[in-house]
Amino acid sequence: MEPILITGMGVVSAIGLGKAQTLEALLANRSGVGPLKYLKTEHKEFPVGEVKLTNAEMCERLGIAQEAITTRTALMGMMALGEALEEAQLTSEMLPKVGFISGTTVGGMDMSEQFYLDFIHSEAHKEYIAAHDCGNCTEMTANHFGKFAFTTTLSTACSSAANAIILGANMIRCGEADIVVVGGSECITKFHLNGFNSLMILDTEPCRPFDATRHGLNLGEGAAYLVLESAESAKRRGVTAQALLSGYGNACDAFHQTASSPEGEGAYRAMSEALTLAGLQPSDIDYINAHGTGTPNNDASESHAMMRLFGENVPPVSSTKPFTGHTTSASGSIEAVFCILALQNGFLPVNLNWSQAMEDGIVPVSQPTKKALKHVLCNAFGFGGNDSSVLLSSVERSGGASQTFGRLRVKPAMTFFDDVFPKGVIAGKDPQSPEHNGVFILSAKQISLQQPLTEAWMQEPVAYDVPFARSIDPSFKEYVSPIEARRMGKIMKRALATSKEAMKEAGLDTVDAIITGTGYGCVENTEFFLDALSNDGEQMLKPTYFMQSTHNTISSLVAIQTKNHGYNVTYAHKGISFDSALQDAWWQLQLGKIDTALVGGHDEMTETFYHILKKGGVMGQDDEICGENAVSIVLSKAVEPVETPLHNESALRQAQGPQLLTAALRHCEERSNPETKPLCQLTGFQLLHQPTMTTLQENIASMLQNAGKTLADVDYILTGISGNHGNDEAYLKEARLLFGDKPLLKYKHLFGESFTSSGLGLYVAAQCLKAGRVPAALFVDPKAACDRQPKCILLYNRSDGKNVSLTLLEA
Amino acid sequence: MDELIYTLKQQIIEALNLEDMTPEDIDENASLFGEGLGLDSIDALELIVLMEKNYGIKLKDPNQGKEIFKSVAVMADYIQKNRTK
Repeated sequence: MEPILITGMGVVSAIGLGKAQTLEALLANRSGVGPLKYLKTEHKEFPVGEVKLTNAEMCERLGIAQEAITTRTALMGMMALGEALEEAQLTSEMLPKVGFISGTTVGGMDMSEQFYLDFIHSEAHKEYIAAHDCGNCTEMTANHFGKFAFTTTLSTACSSAANAIILGANMIRCGEADIVVVGGSECITKFHLNGFNSLMILDTEPCRPFDATRHGLNLGEGAAYLVLESAESAKRRGVTAQALLSGYGNACDAFHQTASSPEGEGAYRAMSEALTLAGLQPSDIDYINAHGTGTPNNDASESHAMMRLFGENVPPVSSTKPFTGHTTSASGSIEAVFCILALQNGFLPVNLNWSQAMEDGIVPVSQPTKKALKHVLCNAFGFGGNDSSVLLSSVERSGGASQTFGRLRVKPAMTFFDDVFPKGVIAGKDPQSPEHNGVFILSAKQISLQQPLTEAWMQEPVAYDVPFARSIDPSFKEYVSPIEARRMGKIMKRALATSKEAMKEAGLDTVDAIITGTGYGCVENTEFFLDALSNDGEQMLKPTYFMQSTHNTISSLVAIQTKNHGYNVTYAHKGISFDSALQDAWWQLQLGKIDTALVGGHDEMTETFYHILKKGGVMGQDDEICGENAVSIVLSKAVEPVETPLHNESALRQAQGPQLLTAALRHCEERSNPETKPLCQLTGFQLLHQPTMTTLQENIASMLQNAGKTLADVDYILTGISGNHGNDEAYLKEARLLFGDKPLLKYKHLFGESFTSSGLGLYVAAQCLKAGRVPAALFVDPKAACDRQPKCILLYNRSDGKNVSLTLLEA
Repeated sequence: MDELIYTLKQQIIEALNLEDMTPEDIDENASLFGEGLGLDSIDALELIVLMEKNYGIKLKDPNQGKEIFKSVAVMADYIQKNRTK
């Protein structure tokens, strides 16, 4: 790939606030790990890497009122983001042209765990309820500086920030944006300190990655963001690159929810993919910043992966976690900043606290070493085997890298760039010639408030007049054995059942990517853990509840159960969690990185959380029905035969030598499966943050134009009105302004509202297109019900009044 | 001892959420991990919590579990010798 420029970066961690302090500490081998000071917990026995400021001190530095609703994760994020924007010379006026992608898993848990009993029993602190959402932390961080064009949140546990970097890079390579700020933030919470303790992987001594005596990790906290920018944009703005992003890889270990495979399959694949994408050989790598948590399992597995890839010549390796502690979701971007500082200053960060070589392991850098570096790898691995690796290069790097895949400009960028680039120019294509970059929806399956795994609702929908309803579940025996089911909450079984059924109907044994959206993940287990923490204290907590509480549990479970080592990520960003997942798939299909994707939208709800969310004004207002859903959709580039397996990055990385032919055959077989009849085509997708009416109109016009359509070709508009009177009124008014007298449809009155119910919207529209009719129950105005055969449906989802997704489907 | 074994089986079923299983389904001499019941490292951690909660036995290192959790019978024997409640 053509390298992407990094034109700014910012970092806060236990070793310092900002790049200067960070570099000084790294060069001086000064760790920030020490006795616990800021977090209120009884577990004083564990050393931690805390950022050395109270929340109040952070507010003061940021100029935020002490009484403002904030979370520690958002505050640390703001400090790092400010530094990154400043270095890249991005002012608030420029942000409407910039994307912001952040990774976090704890979100607002630092506040939720303090106020949980208040959330349940009183009105106190209810203003913090909405702040629990990971997406809310991202938006709080972003909004401190202005109005970004687009925001979303990756939540793949400890690889979240690395995956944010990957998404940002894909966005730029697609020509969707020229500047994207990416990274992650995570504070230490009592919740995950106790969670890691229940897994017995915390060390009471300073952590010693890759040491024979290593005995677990130390938790840390912090945030870091990188400004990714296209070369053209940087040149135009006259900003200089600090480093280059020249490759990246994401793979799933698909082994176990909390343990890495002995052979480090996911890690090996992620690093290999990064090298392939960069067009580099293993011998080109000068340094690896390992994930290196200090747990016996991770360091053994990662060592194996590195030795598999590099053989006898493993480059210098160190884990910098003894400096900062394990900063979990933020580690991918914090350590990427460390790598860039190492590239810029020519040194190898030391693996502190190491003294004895482990059996069958690598020997890390243990002495300060000056060394000119060209290319470095930075690893970040998460629970569930969500493994990612990014390849960073010095700006001065000389040639060598063959550019395997150039930047693909497949369609005009979002219209918010149009004042910079005239329409069409950015895509290098004539704006008048219609583009057909559609992908096929091969199958769509749901478990929700309607009859599960069928389309019976189209004939006889189940009606609800209750404020909160649970999903109607099928028997799960066919999908999971009783012993497998022991650690699966309802949501996991539902996700597995819809995923397996969707893949079966699509006629695929495997997919190139599993991409999942979930607002709150396994709410039931999170609730159990919070209950125990709040009522019984910080002892004897159940590890099962903790490990299921991370959002990416669902996506990795599907990978484990279907033995899928492909791309795997999870989005957790309020009402656009599913839309973010769909967008990721859409971009990667456009880029040719993948040919097929399983996109899921999964959320469950408990009685307790329903009441909390209602109290917090998040959900369940007026006539809104809170529901639960699992929806799985298989997308495929498909119809046309694949020209060559080299066409596809995924095929290229999975197949080498003689395997190339097998891969080619596999792709052809999949494409020619006569039983695969697509439900419909997806021919346009846009996700916008706080768009104005003009932005919306422009984006709808350009989306239709790219698909060779006009508004006259659209038969129906499917809206996400939910029964929340205030929202619905404005929503419908806007819809009428945008779409005139087009028949408006709704689905949430039948399927309920959840963070990922827009996935059900896609399912409903796709099934209507397949059936060639729209059930009368879907019309917003029953009097307007008509039997016009749908050939083109536009989904217009507006969530929490801020984020809008537009999806164009054609029969 | 038989009573302890029976109670322990009930507690294991509850702690590990072994839906549809009854104490009768578990052979107290069969291996809990691997070939037998097919439990894994997370179940071992759950059993550590179970022992602390119900019998006041604290294990510091998950590796200790390997011997103790060989079978329900071995576990019951260990509990009888080391219980503090």
